[in-house]
Amino acid sequence: MNSLIRQILAVVGMNIKSLPQRFWTSLTTMLSIAIVVGVLLAFLAMSDGFDKTLQGSGSDDVAVILNAGSQAELNSGLSGDVVKIVSNSPGIARNEKGPITSPELYVIVDGIKKSSLTEVNLPLRGLSLEGINLRINVKIVKGRMFEPGKNELVVGTSILEQFNGFDLGNQVSLGGVKWTVVGVFDAAGSVFGSEIWADYRAIQTQFNRGNSFQVVRVKLEKPGDTSAIEAFIKADPRLSMDVSTEKKYFSEQSSGISALMYVGWGLAIFMAFGALAGALNTMYTSVAARSVEIATLRAIGFKGIAAFFGTMVESVVLAFIGGVTGTVIVFILFDGITTSTMGASFSQIVFTFDLSVSAFITGIKLALVIGLVGGFFPAWRASRIPVVVAFTSST
Amino acid sequence: MNNLYLIFKNLTRNKLRLFLNSVAILIAFLLFGFLGSLKNAFESGVELSADDRLIVVNKINFTQPLPISYVNKIKAIEGVKDVSHANWFGGYYQEPRNQAMTFAVDAESYLRVYGDIVLDENSKKTWLTNQQGIIVGERMASVHGWSVGDRIPLSSNIFSQDNGSNTWNMIISGIFQPANPQTDTNFILMHYKYFNETQKWGGNNIGWLPITTDDPSLNQSVADAIDKQFANSSAETETSTESQFNKAFLEQLGDISLIITGVVAAGFFTILLVVGTSMAQNVSERTAEIAVLKTLGFTSKRVFGLILSESLFLALLGGLVGLFLAGFMVTGASQDPQLKNMLPNLIMSQDIVVQSVVYMLMLGFITGFIPAWRAMKLNIIDALNRN
Repeated sequence: MNSLIRQILAVVGMNIKSLPQRFWTSLTTMLSIAIVVGVLLAFLAMSDGFDKTLQGSGSDDVAVILNAGSQAELNSGLSGDVVKIVSNSPGIARNEKGPITSPELYVIVDGIKKSSLTEVNLPLRGLSLEGINLRINVKIVKGRMFEPGKNELVVGTSILEQFNGFDLGNQVSLGGVKWTVVGVFDAAGSVFGSEIWADYRAIQTQFNRGNSFQVVRVKLEKPGDTSAIEAFIKADPRLSMDVSTEKKYFSEQSSGISALMYVGWGLAIFMAFGALAGALNTMYTSVAARSVEIATLRAIGFKGIAAFFGTMVESVVLAFIGGVTGTVIVFILFDGITTSTMGASFSQIVFTFDLSVSAFITGIKLALVIGLVGGFFPAWRASRIPVVVAFTSST
Repeated sequence: MNNLYLIFKNLTRNKLRLFLNSVAILIAFLLFGFLGSLKNAFESGVELSADDRLIVVNKINFTQPLPISYVNKIKAIEGVKDVSHANWFGGYYQEPRNQAMTFAVDAESYLRVYGDIVLDENSKKTWLTNQQGIIVGERMASVHGWSVGDRIPLSSNIFSQDNGSNTWNMIISGIFQPANPQTDTNFILMHYKYFNETQKWGGNNIGWLPITTDDPSLNQSVADAIDKQFANSSAETETSTESQFNKAFLEQLGDISLIITGVVAAGFFTILLVVGTSMAQNVSERTAEIAVLKTLGFTSKRVFGLILSESLFLALLGGLVGLFLAGFMVTGASQDPQLKNMLPNLIMSQDIVVQSVVYMLMLGFITGFIPAWRAMKLNIIDALNRN
């Protein structure tokens, strides 16, 4: 047994040491695997980053109440009367001032995306100071909060980084009326960081909304439990609304982009077959080039299995280096890149490519699978090279 | 000896390698054919939109309404030929997931501005006289199996009626065709009057105004005149050509074309590496054989041609099969109802086929050139000595 292990180690050593002789073919195998892993990881980093932003936005303590069937805040419309009724529902946490609720408006305004200099939709949310307190992760990092009733805006840090026109102190013209950007808030990487906020009364006036709203956020008595509110809405014929926890609301919105992950996998698997063809080719060539050497080893008593492992390890090592190279390339090129896309609410959501450890492991696994399959068949052939080959003159 | 016979023999000399290389090339062109078609489908809305139509939207954002009085005000501006208006209805059929793009429009003027909507005279007459009537695009009608005269419930995820219901009953007055077969017909047109009178929020607001000008050369001046007229009012406007408008909208998704191009380039580079090395190996293994051919009197040029043709054949063999499979996949994907909604123009165009063949030839040329060059320059004595 011991001698077999020594044999395997010896052959593996020979294979690895002789790699430079097959420098170019080995390099191409490695590179092709690196590219496959790179494509997969780039997509995973994109969808992970987007998910992270949306998942980080929703709280389990907060419920989102929308007009029935509207699915997104932008589409929803709620009159002031029904907002008042639903605010008194059981299941909503209370403080000394009564139930903790935040009726909000959600409209879209134009901004300019810095990277492309094109016009994009940005969300402008109208809310109250109580509504801001519902979002525990939000804090002002520059300037100050808007004053109720005034035409003042505060913007998320992502708005400032990604879009032009909303710098601190800027005057923004909306429908002939000037608004001033008075503060910048940080929203701890959540979707709210890509929003512009203003006092809801000012938005109602500016956008002719009368006393209407689009969404009500409420603090839940029991985190995650919306059943009391649902029952209350169902019992009152004047109310027709959908309720879900904020966490659930945002995770439903991310489903569209998560499709990217499947796209990434589909492409990677297709391309993996191409890389596999390359790996098989390289390894078969490697076995053919060393057939005399392998047969000689066999002649002096080495087992076929040692030859098998020699080739197998060579292939896996190449694949592993390829996988790591691909990861490093993606890490350098993409990790931490911030970009934006249009989300389910018809407006830009800023997110950051995020190459996670689990994505890295997935990438390496894919590389190893290519290496294992690409090595197995040639290794099989290597283990079956007849001893007699050693005594034929070179091919 | 026949050149073709020699090329065939060389190609099939190592059958396993031939198979592996063909698979690699096949995958490259499968990706190219499929992704290229996707990319075209994304961009087709822009390419097909008319340059002589202008779109007037609220300057704050196109989702903000404009007052209906703007229709007559814009009509009075010099150079404007026809003015229509439209509202986004947020329509869906039966379930919110089944989005059915619906616009509430002023029927008569809309058909005038959109001359590329082909509706027969009879249907047109029925539609114009029936308030509850809608006209449905050919593609949408075929997806849902609707025909003229059907009564269908159409719901809105934005609006509701005075009675609280968000479902409207409609009658299909006609099914329209596109003037250009690639134009999207996956939408419904309903009467603005019906919409405005029955929806709860009311307000006499319109979403946007598509207009035509007397002459496309007037577009810029007309657009400026419109925006100037409403400057500093409570509803300022922004006027652009329809293609600019569509392009800007598409760009909001992020740079899809860039992503697709990147992936295809990465795929091609991989295949280039794999096939290139393999061709080089092929030729270096045959050094002695090539030397013999030359000894037999084959000219260097002929040897060069033989090897280059071999790699060209290989590229075409894998590439054409891959392209064929891509065509198959595109046809299959275009049947998926959700994709049909998003990308109504998902077809493999002739451009893609031509481009693919050009790329196949390029791939064959690049991977074959260096080995062929080496073979051509091969010194017989050196080569035979090596053994």
